[in-house]
Amino acid sequence: MPDIAGDGPEEQPLFSERPDWTDVTPVPQYEGYNPIAPIFYTPQYYFRGIVKTNEKSERVLELTEAIIRLNPAHYSAWQYRYHTLLAIKAPLDAELKLMDSLAVQFLKTYQVWHHRRLILTAIYSPPPSNASGLNDPTATTSSSAKSKPSPESQAAARTELAFITRVLMVDAKNYHTWSYRQWLLAFFDDVHLWEGELGFVERLLEEDVRNNSAWHHRFFVVFGRGQLQGEEDRVAVLKRELSYTKDQIALAPNNASAWNYLRGILERTGTSFSNLRSFVEPYTKTHEDRLGDEEILDLENPAPSAEAELPCVAALEFLADIYEKDAVSKSVEIWKRLANELDTMRKKYWEYRIKEALKDVPVQS
Amino acid sequence: MTSSSQLLIPLHVRYIQSLGENKDDLTYHLTAHLRMNAVYWGLTALCIMDHKDALSKDETIEYVMSCWVDEAGAFGPHPDHDPHLLPTLSAIQILVIHDALDRIDVPRVTKFILSLQQPSGVFAGDQFGEIDTRFLYSAVNALSLLDQLHQLDVEKTVSYIKQCKNFDGGFGAVIGAESHAAQVWVCTAALAILDRLDVIDQDTLAWWLAERQLPNGGLNGRPQKLEDVCYSFWVLSSLSVLRKVSWIDADKLTSFILSAQDTENGGIADRPGDLPDVFHTIFGVAGLSLLGYPGLVDIDPVYCMPANLIESKGLRKGWEALPRKAS
Repeated sequence: MPDIAGDGPEEQPLFSERPDWTDVTPVPQYEGYNPIAPIFYTPQYYFRGIVKTNEKSERVLELTEAIIRLNPAHYSAWQYRYHTLLAIKAPLDAELKLMDSLAVQFLKTYQVWHHRRLILTAIYSPPPSNASGLNDPTATTSSSAKSKPSPESQAAARTELAFITRVLMVDAKNYHTWSYRQWLLAFFDDVHLWEGELGFVERLLEEDVRNNSAWHHRFFVVFGRGQLQGEEDRVAVLKRELSYTKDQIALAPNNASAWNYLRGILERTGTSFSNLRSFVEPYTKTHEDRLGDEEILDLENPAPSAEAELPCVAALEFLADIYEKDAVSKSVEIWKRLANELDTMRKKYWEYRIKEALKDVPVQS
Repeated sequence: MTSSSQLLIPLHVRYIQSLGENKDDLTYHLTAHLRMNAVYWGLTALCIMDHKDALSKDETIEYVMSCWVDEAGAFGPHPDHDPHLLPTLSAIQILVIHDALDRIDVPRVTKFILSLQQPSGVFAGDQFGEIDTRFLYSAVNALSLLDQLHQLDVEKTVSYIKQCKNFDGGFGAVIGAESHAAQVWVCTAALAILDRLDVIDQDTLAWWLAERQLPNGGLNGRPQKLEDVCYSFWVLSSLSVLRKVSWIDADKLTSFILSAQDTENGGIADRPGDLPDVFHTIFGVAGLSLLGYPGLVDIDPVYCMPANLIESKGLRKGWEALPRKAS
């Protein structure tokens, strides 16, 4: 990975060799112990030195950057850096640029992303009046009234979103990155930003239709937090979402994320599963069985492609759930097939479904 | 690294014992920020393998107390590191295991923990402000072990978890975040401690958890991701709380965990062929314990601590693991 921000630690002299650090007493970690690789330990010893004197200066930024590059999970260094940035009124947009390079190198570290949140909050919103100093934009209690986003902050939001998109190109399922994107959208809470998300999700699902994070984000944008922005006609929204999801299932039927999404939108909108019966049925058969069926082109119910692996377990599961209401014996038949043949790993689960369903069967009088 | 069909207990005990020995190792320094967690993981693994005394009790307690940050009334992960909720929980757990809870200033630690609760009900990890349901669980667990749960605003805490419930029945790190098995566990276990399992759509969540099992027997953390030994704990313990452990194919998962052992140097890795670490060692062993693997000690899936210890403190909740096999 190219070191976008410039010098790595190997190119700089040791802190112990630098004249501008002679006034600080390094505090070693372990008494009477000689480390084999002193170059790595010295920045941390100097860190302990400046913490003791509570120094907040430019060189502290240099020091904390050195530590963070070595060990991005060193959360004390991050905290101290943040307080230093504020204390010396350092240019925070420059800090963001530095964070750009680190975020890609250290994708799976919580601190990189949290620091970014703090910096953005420091730049674009005043401290909250309930003064906890901590950032929780998902708080249900209403925070101090948010001012309308300025053109500057709108531009910043777009730049940030573009940055997150680039990071997702490196690791499309990174949990922190997605969580940060959600936070960013809620933080700026700009209807135009929300609107752009559908297209964004679709691009990602084109790359990988099995990206569970992207499906989850779609739900978040359409039915979750994003629902507060625009999209008054919920009937049209449901129609659109059903159509999109069915198309993706047709492309790759054995995709748990798409089926979970389908169930999610039906449940959220109170739509009966049985509405999907004509769509689901072809996916529950083998290709041979389907040969006998009439080939009617039904745009509302895209059929499985010739390459699809059939029958699709998730489709059978779905059909069994449809039958459970008024044709439970058909559900039991499907569950038996799943338990004994098609999804034997979860045999006990399917047996549970059979047992539960038969429990509820009313006794004939 | 050849795979094995048995849990190589003496080898793993030796592995855990060796972890603190190599202070020359760069890795040792770079992991100082989670040293307290690592000690807890190692100790718990030893307990479950019935070798609790393999690490010195006195040295361990001394280490824990050396991480006490008096200004804050809490523990850091390592001497002279800032205090944080995660190492504070691990410190409490270690002291409980060693029956040394009297070393803790309970009112001050309680104050520290409660101070981290946000208006929304979630907890921050420290003054840095990162929020996550992991911290919510840590707070609930810690307060419970300190017998200070009555000081918690339970309604507020539970209401946050409720809002984290996703369309697939799972839970994420914060409201709106994707369902993830580790976050499912922290939310489920926190609800178990607070006697609020009613928040969960139990059948749906248990099914989602069962779906984590891949054809190779291993478990993943979210749909269409890779298997990893640590999910053996997150997923299984959640299923134990929901009383549905049988929904996982035990034989296949057992084989998978055993195949991730380092048969030369000990320890368990995230998947076969990778290097081991103490994190995957505890969670692999804990998973095997919940599956009834012979010769292991029972683990409490809510607290991730020895079950009889939790029971003796009157903290056991309604969970079910698979019965222990004779051999």
